[in-house]
Amino acid sequence: MKYISQTIFLLFFSLSLFAQQDTASTLFSSMDEVVVTASKTATKLGNVTSPISIITKKNIQQAGSLRLKDILQEQAGMSITNGFGAGIQMQGLNPDYTLILLNGAPLVGRTAGVLDLNRIGITNIKKIEVVKGPSSSLYGSEAMAGVINIITENTGDKKIQLGARYGFGNPNSGWSSPIGKNVFKNSDLYFLFKTKYKRAIIDLSSNAFYLDAISFRPYSSERITQPIWRFTNQLSISTPINNKNNFTFLVRNGYDQIKQNFAVNNNGAVSTSYGKETNNDLNINSIYKHAFNENIKSSLNVYATFYRGYQKLNFSNKPDSSYIDEFKQHLYRAENQNDFKLKKMLVTIGAGYIIDQAYSTRYDNVESRKQNQILYAFAQHEWTLSKKLIFTTGVRYDHNKIFAAAFSPKFSFRYIANKSITIKGSIGRGFKAPDFRQLYLNFTNNAAGGYSVLGSIDAIKIIQQMQSLGQLSEIKDDYNKLSTLKPEFSTGINLGGTIFFNKNIQLDFNGFRNDIDGLIDVRQVATKLNGAQIFSYINIKNAYTQGLEFDVKCKASKTISLSTGYQLLETADKDELANIKAGKVYTRNADGTSRLLLMNEYTGLANRSKHMGNVKITYENKHGLFINTRLIYKSQWYVGDRDGNGLLNINDENGKGYFLLNMAAGKTFNKKLNINIGMDNVTNYQDVNYLPNLSGRMIYLSINYTLK
Amino acid sequence: MKKSTIGILAIAALIFNACKNDQVNNVVVNPNDYNVSDSGNIVTVKNLPADTIIGINDTTGPYSAGKYTFFSLGTNSKIASTDSATSNWDLAFSGTTIRINGGTSGPGNGGAFVYTGTFDALTTVPVDSTIKVDAYPTYAITKGSGKGWYTYDGPTNLIRAIPGRILVIRTADRKYAKVEVLNYYKGNTTPFSTASDSIKTFNARYYSFRYTYQGNGTTTF
Repeated sequence: MKYISQTIFLLFFSLSLFAQQDTASTLFSSMDEVVVTASKTATKLGNVTSPISIITKKNIQQAGSLRLKDILQEQAGMSITNGFGAGIQMQGLNPDYTLILLNGAPLVGRTAGVLDLNRIGITNIKKIEVVKGPSSSLYGSEAMAGVINIITENTGDKKIQLGARYGFGNPNSGWSSPIGKNVFKNSDLYFLFKTKYKRAIIDLSSNAFYLDAISFRPYSSERITQPIWRFTNQLSISTPINNKNNFTFLVRNGYDQIKQNFAVNNNGAVSTSYGKETNNDLNINSIYKHAFNENIKSSLNVYATFYRGYQKLNFSNKPDSSYIDEFKQHLYRAENQNDFKLKKMLVTIGAGYIIDQAYSTRYDNVESRKQNQILYAFAQHEWTLSKKLIFTTGVRYDHNKIFAAAFSPKFSFRYIANKSITIKGSIGRGFKAPDFRQLYLNFTNNAAGGYSVLGSIDAIKIIQQMQSLGQLSEIKDDYNKLSTLKPEFSTGINLGGTIFFNKNIQLDFNGFRNDIDGLIDVRQVATKLNGAQIFSYINIKNAYTQGLEFDVKCKASKTISLSTGYQLLETADKDELANIKAGKVYTRNADGTSRLLLMNEYTGLANRSKHMGNVKITYENKHGLFINTRLIYKSQWYVGDRDGNGLLNINDENGKGYFLLNMAAGKTFNKKLNINIGMDNVTNYQDVNYLPNLSGRMIYLSINYTLK
Repeated sequence: MKKSTIGILAIAALIFNACKNDQVNNVVVNPNDYNVSDSGNIVTVKNLPADTIIGINDTTGPYSAGKYTFFSLGTNSKIASTDSATSNWDLAFSGTTIRINGGTSGPGNGGAFVYTGTFDALTTVPVDSTIKVDAYPTYAITKGSGKGWYTYDGPTNLIRAIPGRILVIRTADRKYAKVEVLNYYKGNTTPFSTASDSIKTFNARYYSFRYTYQGNGTTTF
């Protein structure tokens, strides 16, 4: 590892020798750029005390990204997980622990803790801000690994824009003609209308996306098309009422329809099921801002979001019956925030109330509403001691109706050591409240041996009932640990900064450590008479994730820029680690004979790559032409036990490390017409088992036209 | 350092074998076949079928013949099921159940317990150990996921032998043996979690295990 980083440093130092001085750089975000996610107030990037990165509209367009997943997977330290859709793993934490916001308001509708990033279209957004490290002191539950905030555009310019894209590929042969048999197609159409009516800024956009998703039939390498339609419509109206009052209203709707065709193998008997899945997202957000004077500002935000995921399957061998899986979540939130600007200080005080409701066929009854109410208050104090030093202290208290309260403090600082070095550090507490699934799930998988997973609230009740009816063969020790779930808490430390080697080279670096206590894990609590297992959720695990991350941006010449990012990650379950240390864990040699497991053979939590990185090279000239190449790397990750010791080590099942190469080029004519071509997954890398969502090589052409 | 030593040894072994093969007829053993090999004092048994799945019923699922496979640790061989009521066998296998020839399972003096540690580390039966006998419906070699020698994972439908679990066996004729189950699947290889259900079902119940049998009646291996 040492050598790799040394090589990269040398490369960039040598580049800096011939780098020309050029002031206009699109690669670097200006330190004066205003960001909102890190402190919930408009803050200059240079003053932010937490690790933050910005993905601009231009980054998104030049990468040809259509969905949130596409662009996040190209960022250092962000790993896309498979299973229940595409989730985001940040700082080595599962998708459950990253809060995803739309203009500061949370998106809902998670399946098994995963918010599918494919559900979120990013064709008409302004930028994405990513804050790493615990941010529960401002945002509450889920903001343990960090926050991803999607910020939509709301500028005053009048324009109409139309865009179309067509892409194609053939994962079987690697290459294909744009049309014809066995061709996997995707196409995207969008429309954008921005205007001003009196003083109101009106922004309307609509996007339709069609994709022949490549579905791998379970347990076979056979690929079939699984057509997906995704629609996104968005309307925002922002109007200054007078110079003290401003009102913004945003409504956004996402609708997905996914055709499904599975072959389910139940103990050797194959049954085909077919049907569709739909996802419906609706977000309504209204923000009223009032400035009492220059130094006192207040805002009221009323937000409602509705999600419905629905799946209906019919079975070819049982045409009369069908399987319905439905999940609905409704969240209502009212929040007030007040900012007081004092001499050298900015004080933010806010409070809010959330009603969170869910319905699911996987709970006892789809009609029965599960509800949590959260009352919360937060305060933050930003203290600018000098131009060099800023301290930020924040705290939030969440009072939950159905489980324990959470208290989340955070302290952070930014120190400008000299012209070229800025240091940032933070320590904070993050939490994730148990979700409805962990409390109320009542699911039995009849297709796979009849095992059941029960939410903690229902588990005790159901197991006692089964016990009295003599339907259980045993009750496990872990049953006694069942109780009302508590939130999972973490302590996160981040220390890093930015170094400007000269105007053309910028290094951002950060080291992090997250210690998570009372991690909720699925454990077997009982066994049915027929041997089928009953699982439930317990606050049982203690884990940590730690790592180093750096991101180097370099402008090699007036037209060529390079960037590279890297993350080193180590994770562990602390109890597993202690057992290995105590010499209680064994593994197997290739011939099956067992021996003690060595400490350095332990690989930590599942689905984590130790090394992740990317290298991006962009050519861009002043005539509107760009060409880019993006290489993304992920090292091996472990998925499941193989040697029988119940924890993951080098003898276990793993996905192979891989490189993904994406390229794109485009040109803008007369500032109106823009044509892009691109190729994703140039090397046609595929891994049927461990990367089921990675399609083969895809080629696309997109055109958009702007009328001013 | 270690790797290069292994490399040299491997090359040496290759050369040695290459020369040897000129004279000796090489018998290729199919890795999926039942096979007993003896090296020094360790006997390795591969692919001992233990009431394997013979078909799948549409409603009730997989089924087997319902017969135990009997094995003698003293003679290193399978024993016919017609001898089930004799003291000729020491272990009987069916699915994840391993019976000893004693208690409710047979007329012999068999007993057993599960020891935690490595095969090599177990040089003598610990003096304070309790040897249990089968008392239907419980067995000396405890059944159940994580309780005896294996774990069962419902979601992936796989049985895995837990490493570092040794079955200490008192044979039907009061001799001692230590047995390590290596694998529960054909070819001494657990299917991948992504393997098809039919592979998981039909490759299951093929025991690979190794043992050291102490024929002199002492508890030292």
